Amino acid sequence: MSRLSRKIRNWAVEALDLPGDLVFDLPRLTMIGNKQLLVENHQGVLHFSPEELQLELKQGILKVEGTELAIRTIMPEEVIIEGRISGIKYEGVEE
Amino acid sequence: MKSSVISRLRGSVTIVVRGERLEELINELAKEGIEIWNVRSLPERKMEMNVQLGDFFSLRPLLKRTGCRMSVKRRIGAPFFLARLWRRKIFILGFAMFIAAIFALSSLVWDIEVQGNDKIPTEDVLLAAREEGIYPFQWIFRMQKPDKLSAELTRRLTGTSWVGVTRSGTRITIQVVEATRPKEHTLRSPSHLVSNADAIVTYIYAERGQPEVKKHARVKKGQVLIAGIQGNERVVAKGEIRGIVWHEYKMELPLVRKQNVYTGEKKVKGYLFFGNTAIQITGYGPTSFAQFHTVSELDPLTWRSLKLPIGWMNEKLLETTVIQLKLSPEQAKVDGIERAERDIYAKYGMESKIISQKILHEKSDNGKVYMKVLFEVEQNIAEELPIVHEQGE
Repeated sequence: MSRLSRKIRNWAVEALDLPGDLVFDLPRLTMIGNKQLLVENHQGVLHFSPEELQLELKQGILKVEGTELAIRTIMPEEVIIEGRISGIKYEGVEE
Repeated sequence: MKSSVISRLRGSVTIVVRGERLEELINELAKEGIEIWNVRSLPERKMEMNVQLGDFFSLRPLLKRTGCRMSVKRRIGAPFFLARLWRRKIFILGFAMFIAAIFALSSLVWDIEVQGNDKIPTEDVLLAAREEGIYPFQWIFRMQKPDKLSAELTRRLTGTSWVGVTRSGTRITIQVVEATRPKEHTLRSPSHLVSNADAIVTYIYAERGQPEVKKHARVKKGQVLIAGIQGNERVVAKGEIRGIVWHEYKMELPLVRKQNVYTGEKKVKGYLFFGNTAIQITGYGPTSFAQFHTVSELDPLTWRSLKLPIGWMNEKLLETTVIQLKLSPEQAKVDGIERAERDIYAKYGMESKIISQKILHEKSDNGKVYMKVLFEVEQNIAEELPIVHEQGE
């Protein structure tokens, strides 16, 4: 993404009050307590174990930590994770 | 995850996948649009997941591409259940036959009940019903509609004003309402009404026929009162004729009357009975009564309105004795006249009227009263006499 286009987008988000997930392809996370997590706009699973799940994003990686993690459903851009979630971390995200 | 009912109907499998590039497989699956759910990571690079049965066979190329191996752990849903059932064909057949048998047996007529018939025999009703297609072991669906059957039966059974047919379950109830018919008159040959005694006519009313006598007329026994000939026509004479008739009663009345009475002494015997056999339980011992009267009371065990042939029977032995009642001649006379009056009413009908009585003769002798009484009674004196054809000479 060129600098200019990002600037324009940034301006659009602020001036037109658009949601960032639509404009920047950012992930949208919906979390219900520490039991269920819905991630939209992911790019695929990188690693999956009962303790850690790594999701690829457009930019960087989303790490979900916890115990007894399981994928409830997975669709091309959506994933529902269940289990006891203890943390969510972003890695390699600009800015 | 889809609605569990639909997913159960379509069937799903739990598979365990083994391999190095499991994440890649999941991504591929998601990209291909193959729905997976309940993905669980197991130790030793294994993963458990659920797949729709319809998607199961499209897994193979993806597994090959990602170098994974798969084994089926559990089969869930209707298709597997049906497959298992199919292997037990005889069982299914038996079950189907059972259902069919229940259905068939419950669509048969088992019982026909006829109600409300008094004069028409039940057999006749059943016969008519049979001709209309109502008989035991008939298919219910082969019978006509109840209203049609009802109309047909009413037409078929003479002497009914309505026949109702109702079905409840496997039982047919035929309700018969019998027509009340006017009394049938027996045909009678022309007749006269003649007097049955020597009498004086007090009342005559001819409904049919020619009156031959008038009120206050003296008639002899056998005299025609109302003739059965009206003009040239012969009819059955009908009417009402009353007359005064004298009856003479000769009576012998004993002055001592014997009568059986209870002394008040009694003995009770208790029996247990089964059918016609009774076993005495209480009241053993000799009875000292010279004369007695036995009264038995049955008290069977009952269940609802049903009497069982088992129960208790009480037998009472009531001592009787003969007492002699002495009557005064006056009492004997009154008794005798009363008895005579009762005799008159019994012989000549309750509508007879005793007008007067006269004691003609009275004598007391040998402990008896001899009496002759004359009663004057107004009674019906008509009697039918058929008209005999006059035979030409």
